[in-house]
Amino acid sequence: MSVIAPNFKLSGFIKSLIDDVVWAVLIVSLIGLPAIMMVLFVIPMPVIDGELLTPFLAFTYLADPTRTLPIVQAFMTTDMFKIMAFPGFGFAALLAAGTIFVERKMLAKLQLRVGPFYCGKVEGILQLMGDGLKLISKEIIIPAKADKPIFWAAPVLFVASAAAFVALIPVAPGWVVADVDMGLLGVFAVIGFFPIVTILSAWSANSKFPFIGGIRALFQMVSFEIPLILSLLGVVMVTGTLNLSEIAASQSSFPWIVFLPVGAIVFFITMLAELERIPFDLPEAESEIVAGWLTELSGMMYGLVQLGTYLKLYAFAALFVVLFLGGWNGPMIVPPFPMEIVTHGLEMGPVTVKVGGLEPLLTQVITQEMLNGTLMFVLKTVGVIFFILLPRGVFPRIRVDMLLNLGWTKLIGLAFVNIFIALALVYAGVLGPGGLQ
Amino acid sequence: MTNTATGIIRALNSGIKHIATKRFTLRYPEEKLKFVGDGYQFDPSTGVGIAGLKGRHMLFHDHCTGCQLCSIACEGVAEAIAMVKVPEEQKQNKKSIMPQIDYGKCVFCGLCVDACPFYALYMTNDYELSSFSKEGLIYTPAQLAVKPYVEQDSEIVITKYGATHG
Amino acid sequence: MTAELPPGLAIQKVDERIMTLNVGPQHPGSGHMRIIVQIDGDYIVACDPDPGYVHRGEEKMAEYRNYITNIPHLERPVIHDSCNVLYPYVLGVEELLGIEVPERAKYVRVICSELNRCIYIMYWLAIYGIFLGHSTMFMWPAGDRELLIDLMEKISGARVTHAHFVPGGVRNDLPPNFEEVCLRQVNYFEKRIREYAAVFYDNPILISRTQDTGVLSREDAIRLGTTGSVLRASGVSYDLRQKEPYDVYEELDVHSPVMKEGDSYARSKIPWLDMLESCNIIKQALEKMPKSGSVRVKLKPNPKGKGLDSVYKRVESGRGSLGCHIVSDGKVEPYRLKLSVGSFRNLIALPYLLKGEKLGNMPSVYWSLNYWPVEADR
Repeated sequence: MSVIAPNFKLSGFIKSLIDDVVWAVLIVSLIGLPAIMMVLFVIPMPVIDGELLTPFLAFTYLADPTRTLPIVQAFMTTDMFKIMAFPGFGFAALLAAGTIFVERKMLAKLQLRVGPFYCGKVEGILQLMGDGLKLISKEIIIPAKADKPIFWAAPVLFVASAAAFVALIPVAPGWVVADVDMGLLGVFAVIGFFPIVTILSAWSANSKFPFIGGIRALFQMVSFEIPLILSLLGVVMVTGTLNLSEIAASQSSFPWIVFLPVGAIVFFITMLAELERIPFDLPEAESEIVAGWLTELSGMMYGLVQLGTYLKLYAFAALFVVLFLGGWNGPMIVPPFPMEIVTHGLEMGPVTVKVGGLEPLLTQVITQEMLNGTLMFVLKTVGVIFFILLPRGVFPRIRVDMLLNLGWTKLIGLAFVNIFIALALVYAGVLGPGGLQ
Repeated sequence: MTNTATGIIRALNSGIKHIATKRFTLRYPEEKLKFVGDGYQFDPSTGVGIAGLKGRHMLFHDHCTGCQLCSIACEGVAEAIAMVKVPEEQKQNKKSIMPQIDYGKCVFCGLCVDACPFYALYMTNDYELSSFSKEGLIYTPAQLAVKPYVEQDSEIVITKYGATHG
Repeated sequence: MTAELPPGLAIQKVDERIMTLNVGPQHPGSGHMRIIVQIDGDYIVACDPDPGYVHRGEEKMAEYRNYITNIPHLERPVIHDSCNVLYPYVLGVEELLGIEVPERAKYVRVICSELNRCIYIMYWLAIYGIFLGHSTMFMWPAGDRELLIDLMEKISGARVTHAHFVPGGVRNDLPPNFEEVCLRQVNYFEKRIREYAAVFYDNPILISRTQDTGVLSREDAIRLGTTGSVLRASGVSYDLRQKEPYDVYEELDVHSPVMKEGDSYARSKIPWLDMLESCNIIKQALEKMPKSGSVRVKLKPNPKGKGLDSVYKRVESGRGSLGCHIVSDGKVEPYRLKLSVGSFRNLIALPYLLKGEKLGNMPSVYWSLNYWPVEADR
């Protein structure tokens, strides 16, 4: 639109070309080649049809789909795929990026304005990429008297704990990064780690505004942890297990929110407080303490903290869906893959295209059940995220003493009411081992 | 307690209702605002101005006599008008001087238009006056004689779903 | 040291628990001003407001400009409320010159003054929302005030700093077909601001945050000399449009809202009720206005007063009473011009109100005093 290009100079153009070539050579030789070496030496190569799969063999196989599909299938069952793409980091990052975009546009529509608009041809889709590139290009300024090792490590620890939280959530039956038997206890442990990281980051910055912000974040997160844990105990009582996949599987006929609505509401409110969303965004209260504990972070450290925050948002919403809304259960809306394409092949005019190797992929890895489960899960998570984003447009910020009052008295009371309801349901035989399944 | 709950639900309800309301933004530069009239003008015989946007000035070379009243009027406000010699010969302009306006200093108050007694200085609807250098902002009398072409297409429209610039 | 230091320079003993916080000019919560706050944990022990960052010497500069060239100069303290800042000046000069303003000009002046009051209050409300963390309450007023700025642009030709009032009337008449457009937009504006009640004024979080904080009792409000919406929120029914009516306010029906509590919630609600009242006044003025007539008295090019004379006129602006004292000695420039603004007088209440308050209440109390930093510094 209003980009003003400077005058074209041939020397400047050639200089930029040479710059690009130099950077490309540097990056390939210093990062690309060691990465390939690591892949070749550290990660065990699968054995397909009696042959060890080296990168050269993989490239030849790519030309023939009958041979590519077993590779893809073998890859999709490895741990690395689960950590990186689905349901781990890639899936969560995609949902988080979508959340950021939807948040900005939905909030803009609520406030009768447009939101991101120029970046990307369609109503500002590439705005997030533009923001990320901007953050990478900024200088990271460390205050002189800050405690440097801890200050550098704090955003990385934040993203690491958020990623650990994402790793515990089951998305479809059998698809979870870390299948821990006491999954819910693992969730509590990771949630307990967040205030520590926040106060480390705030204290090591050695400045007044992060200090106040960090203390407030500590108050907020610690005082809302107890109602959080208590509200989930009701679900544990009626299902009898701490494993998140089993809790999701036990809701095949009805979600737990029907029987434990009070617990769901308490969990929702404490979730907003743990995520530092409005109305509980005291630690970053802009008008009083500049930016709270994020004041001294600049450049990519701020970018990492934002990434961690949105991963946490996805993980909490997913936890709500798994525990209260039924996880991946739901009506079967994904149509089954027509099996004639597998057995007879696809008919395109005079030619029949038959692709081997499709059958084990479709029956073992990408089944109809898994696709349907993922779709229901994503729909429910998107719904919960909408309700998390909505209060941002509607409520002001609450004050510290009101927050503490809420967390230590009212919510704990409501959580105990929820536990009594759950106990009554189990002992009356309505739910649990003896009652409705 | 119920008061709080109803208050919260009413606020959320109002929020959801506004998602269905139209956006109010004017998407400049694809849409530009319409103006009423032709720019701010002043009628020395009645002593009252005519309503219009106070934009860039327009100088009528066949009325200006070089009396310097506009420059004197601007002296207390912004000192943006200076009189310069023009090469053309006008019958009513014995000294051949006309005003030159520096838009880096002008505050668009219109007192110079009020001061001119010969119907020579008006203001137009043109407001897009940016330039790459400070010298480019000084408009000579020849530049001031050009009537601008101003694009205008949008105005505030109040519909059932809210107001919008359409 | 044998000589005794003045109180501002004396060395004070500082308690170890107390932290001095500089809510300074470079802060998202302060405007163009600095507040030095001393806090003990979460409670404010002492507070020292420090205005003066945007002082330009406007009153001194006014002595070098003649009465007409002072008009673009004196409207700069509050650029979007410029008609109300010029109003007492223009009334004063008219009295010094002894001229009578035509009827239609008075109605146009009243309409412009009320429109400007609404424009200013919407901007103030937007910043109040953002201080409390309510970003929607920032966007809605900022967007809805465009409806009124559009009207002011049709009347005077500029969106802010209108330079529309002159001694003798107004500079130009209303454009053709103005009444219909004005009525339509003012009706829609009124409908919009009534919707703020659900999201802002009846919001339980806002109520619990601002109720019973920064309570200014009736006696304190009168003793400290506060004015405008702050005074009316503490139970004193004093509005200059009713007590000392100027122009055509005697013929219009003005009911200024008054609330008794005197806390931040009342001070934030009174300007909103004020705006609803202003819409009413605009509609009445549009009805009663004479359909045609001159809007300006023709003056000599450089008006000057008749010898040594002084006049003081007061007007109710968006922030309270705004007064202008003009001393003239027969020349074309005024000898001395003094603007007495509502913001600066309301600031005196800030140290009294903030003592003993929690730090979280500071933005809501500070901005609810209807304070505009640029005007207070002039």
